[in-house]
Amino acid sequence: MKSSRSLALVSLFAALMAVLGLIPKIDLPLGVPITLQTLGVMLAGCLLGSKRGLQALLLFLAAVALGLPLLSGGRGGFGVFMAPSAGYLIGMPVGAFVTGWVMSMLPSSTPRGAALSAFMASALGGLLVVHAFGVAGLVKLANLSWTQAFFGTLVFVPGDLIKCALCAMVVHTVARGMPDWRFGGRAV
Amino acid sequence: MGSLYSEHLTWLHRVPAAFKLLFFAVLGTAQFLMQGHTALVISAVACGLMFASLGRATLSARKLLASVFLAALLIMAFHTYLQQPRVGMVSALRLSSAALLGIALTLTTRSRDLLDVFERLLSPLQRVGIRTERLSLQLAMMLRFTEHFFVVWKRLDDAHRIRTGKAGGLRILAPLTIKMLMSARKAADTLELRLGE
Repeated sequence: MKSSRSLALVSLFAALMAVLGLIPKIDLPLGVPITLQTLGVMLAGCLLGSKRGLQALLLFLAAVALGLPLLSGGRGGFGVFMAPSAGYLIGMPVGAFVTGWVMSMLPSSTPRGAALSAFMASALGGLLVVHAFGVAGLVKLANLSWTQAFFGTLVFVPGDLIKCALCAMVVHTVARGMPDWRFGGRAV
Repeated sequence: MGSLYSEHLTWLHRVPAAFKLLFFAVLGTAQFLMQGHTALVISAVACGLMFASLGRATLSARKLLASVFLAALLIMAFHTYLQQPRVGMVSALRLSSAALLGIALTLTTRSRDLLDVFERLLSPLQRVGIRTERLSLQLAMMLRFTEHFFVVWKRLDDAHRIRTGKAGGLRILAPLTIKMLMSARKAADTLELRLGE
């Protein structure tokens, strides 16, 4: 893919993350909010692929670190990387990378196939990987045991499965509306 | 889109961004390595005093600060419920201190100055072919796309309301994504003319 196209798409998905962050969050007792931003991780991986998905999320986190209030609830700055949810934030770029990598391995020649692949890739990268980092963050930053953190993160799973389905729906529509789009970063 | 940076000048505004970043990174790491309660309490009090010394500059971060303290309180309450009040106190102190340092850095350092430090830190990656000098261009494009996203979202939502009488909500996410992907392609074509690649 040409450098300019890559640049535009990476910036676009970092912007999508910012927009999804403006939808109000729901706070849970663990100090970790339920937000729509994990949907952005899934979409970045499925639509951009591993490398550019990773870049988009790193760009988004760089903007947050620079002080832009782009996380749900208008949070931003270095302080958010010290909060109990920091593990989930760090897991986002890795989650997008894994989602993109899995998506590139699965079939996506038909809209239905692409949607099914997107659901599986999102569940693995956007859900499993992000939560694995989130649990590690809760253990390290909130001093919870692995079991407590694991059961704590389970609260998010039903919502995240809905996000996987939403991601699959978007991929299905994109596959129908833009038949030349190659998912998982294969080529545009 | 506004940054959390405060225009109300304080003594910390005068400290160079790179020095603040280094100092806060070392102090933040040290807090996570500290085990003694006394050392942690002293460190937390010092962070609190440093933050309080910023005075009115901290007003814009009130909401953020409240959410950090709420998270610390919830963690403390959770550990107390599990009969581990000391662990709860240590976690809450570490979290609050580290968050105060991070927020102080954000309030007193312009995004442009932090970006310069980031670009300098990342510059060794240029040797392996990564174009780190494009970080500021990408950030600018990201902010431009964010605005554009809102405009398109609003248009689609209005159209959906006219057709159905209800808000579009997540139903317009798919058409929004398609429209934005098309916009990104157009932006890429313009960039190609400008950058020549």
